[in-house]
Amino acid sequence: MFGALVVRGTGPVARDGPSSDGPAVELLRDVAADFSPRFERRGDAVVLDLAGLDRLFGHPRAIADALRTAIVDRGLRAHVAIAGTCTAAHLLAAHRSCPVTVVNRGEDAGAVAPLPLELLAQLNPLNPLNPERLSTFRRWGLRTLGDLAALPADAVSARLGAEGLRWHRLAQGHDLRPLQPDVPVERFEQAFDLEWPIEGLEPLSFVLGRLLEPLAAHLERRGRGAAVLHLRLHLVTRTLHERSLQLPVAMHDARTLRALLLLDLESHPPPAAIDRVVVAADPTPARVLQFSLLARPLPSPEQLSTLMARLSALMGEDRCGSPVIVDSWKPGVFGMKGFNPDPKPKAQSPKPIAHSLEPEAQSPSVALRRFRVPVPARVRAHEGTPLYVAVDRRGMTGGSVQSAAGPWRTSGNWWKQNLGVGSLPLGVARDRGIGSSFSWDRDEWDVALGDGVAYRVFRERGSGAWFLEGIFD
Amino acid sequence: MANVALAVAEAALRARKLDRTLTTALPSAVRPNAAATEIARLDDCLRGGLPRGQLSEVVGRQSSGRTAAVLHMLAAATRRGEIVALVDTFDRLDVGSAASAGLDLDRLLWIRGEASSLFDRVIERGLKALNLVLQAGGFGLVVFDLADAPLQALHRIPFTTWLRIQRTIEGSDTVCLLLAPHALARSAEGLTLTCGGRPAWEGSAARSRRLAGLEMGVRVVSPRRQVDGEVACSARL
Repeated sequence: MFGALVVRGTGPVARDGPSSDGPAVELLRDVAADFSPRFERRGDAVVLDLAGLDRLFGHPRAIADALRTAIVDRGLRAHVAIAGTCTAAHLLAAHRSCPVTVVNRGEDAGAVAPLPLELLAQLNPLNPLNPERLSTFRRWGLRTLGDLAALPADAVSARLGAEGLRWHRLAQGHDLRPLQPDVPVERFEQAFDLEWPIEGLEPLSFVLGRLLEPLAAHLERRGRGAAVLHLRLHLVTRTLHERSLQLPVAMHDARTLRALLLLDLESHPPPAAIDRVVVAADPTPARVLQFSLLARPLPSPEQLSTLMARLSALMGEDRCGSPVIVDSWKPGVFGMKGFNPDPKPKAQSPKPIAHSLEPEAQSPSVALRRFRVPVPARVRAHEGTPLYVAVDRRGMTGGSVQSAAGPWRTSGNWWKQNLGVGSLPLGVARDRGIGSSFSWDRDEWDVALGDGVAYRVFRERGSGAWFLEGIFD
Repeated sequence: MANVALAVAEAALRARKLDRTLTTALPSAVRPNAAATEIARLDDCLRGGLPRGQLSEVVGRQSSGRTAAVLHMLAAATRRGEIVALVDTFDRLDVGSAASAGLDLDRLLWIRGEASSLFDRVIERGLKALNLVLQAGGFGLVVFDLADAPLQALHRIPFTTWLRIQRTIEGSDTVCLLLAPHALARSAEGLTLTCGGRPAWEGSAARSRRLAGLEMGVRVVSPRRQVDGEVACSARL
């Protein structure tokens, strides 16, 4: 059994009533919420599920009267209809001049039969009746819903397709979909007024724990996780210290959330003592994890988030993560991104069994231990070929060159700026992985010194200065 | 007669899988749950790979191929679907070299230190980062790069530091690997891989000469200071 409430007329009957349909429908929702937890707004109507209310009120007529009384008490003028289907209740409440309509069980089709066909256009505002289709019905001589419902369904389907069949079912008072109850917006927020202002993170961690435990439990009960965590600290200076944490995945673990908040506050501490603490979460559907029996388990996102926050606090925010290769010819340029490994490893070409491979195929590739800021060197050269390398740095001996290969000349970005490689901005920029925008023009050499160490050195063509790029290792 | 009786007793113990109590029991051919390096000769020598839950080390002088070997091990771990971490104390990683080694960069947590002359402070910070990573768990291979640290600074690290690290990873599936210029520390079941190498050149004429790679030799020292073997391999450029 379903009921429908439709506002009739735009004017309020009471002096403090609503002045437009929008607030009036909101008031109807409040009325519906007083009677049933399952209600849905459909255009200017509110449809509610009345199942079980007969045990409380008795006859459906008594339910309708109670609804009508509640509406009038709120200063509204609205029609109430009760029928076996949502569609029939909605149609009857929208059209009947009588403020209260109650249809007995099984008589829905008969009750809606006298209603005009144009009502179908009002029934479904998202998919209204096509005006051309309405004119088709008129040409067929159909005026009421009963006329349309009396036609054979297969004949309507043959002429108008699936859409015609859908309207045919509506004309009979049938529901095309079940009631989809409106879910009230829930706020995930906890606040705590402190009796005495607190200073420092240690006492605050206890307060945060007290706030985050119920918040996490609330999120877990609703099957939600926090996507963004907001912390508002009201300070004794009458100012607000706000922090927002964008979490990599939805999480509702109170300990992890507290650790992340505290680590963030270590970097951004409040400037004064705290009066009031408010923690709020933007909810999002919680993660559903399916673990594999065969794959090695990775650390949970909560563990990784905490680890990254701790590492960032220790080493610096841009010094932890996964390296990224930058699309540039410039040597040594790279980028950084957050460490977020995919649980499934990348599909790679299958590697043959180790013992069946030739040793050469499994040999490691030579790595360059790169100096992030090139080391200035004094090089004695003959016709451009380095003969002797001297470096004024601890741990690097230098010496005569035993073998050398080169030069390999590279240049780029000369059309942008002309900064030397040894200048500080380049070093700083390269250190941050954004050095691809600076120019370079140099001759590279691979040299091996007498002590058996192989270096990559280069000569900057603009200044003629020599630098060590790195050590082959 | 006594030898025959001893052999019968040992055979009986082996049949009941109690041969670990024998002092003469030979080590099994393959180390259980080892992290393969995917260098065939080295894996043969290591009986499957590096022992998990242990602190091992790769040592060698500059241009000995130690970094190449470590990057190859990291790449092998990522190919197995593991995530790996590199505590790059002095910020020396060349990302291009890592990619050339076949390392899946998305599965590498790179913690960059700074190339500062305040070695003690940089190393201390690196140790803290290493501890955080090991305590978080879940990593297949964690490398602590101290290859550019001066010996004096390395010797100032308290010995208990390595005991604490070993205690952290004990019983886990994590391999902790030190990359250092000289043998520094390893756990009781850990290994020391000593790299020695020299550059290999191609081409006889000055204009056609190029650096082809490194001729490497890896000497494996296992627990009880037994030399398991020496492996020769080459690193290509």
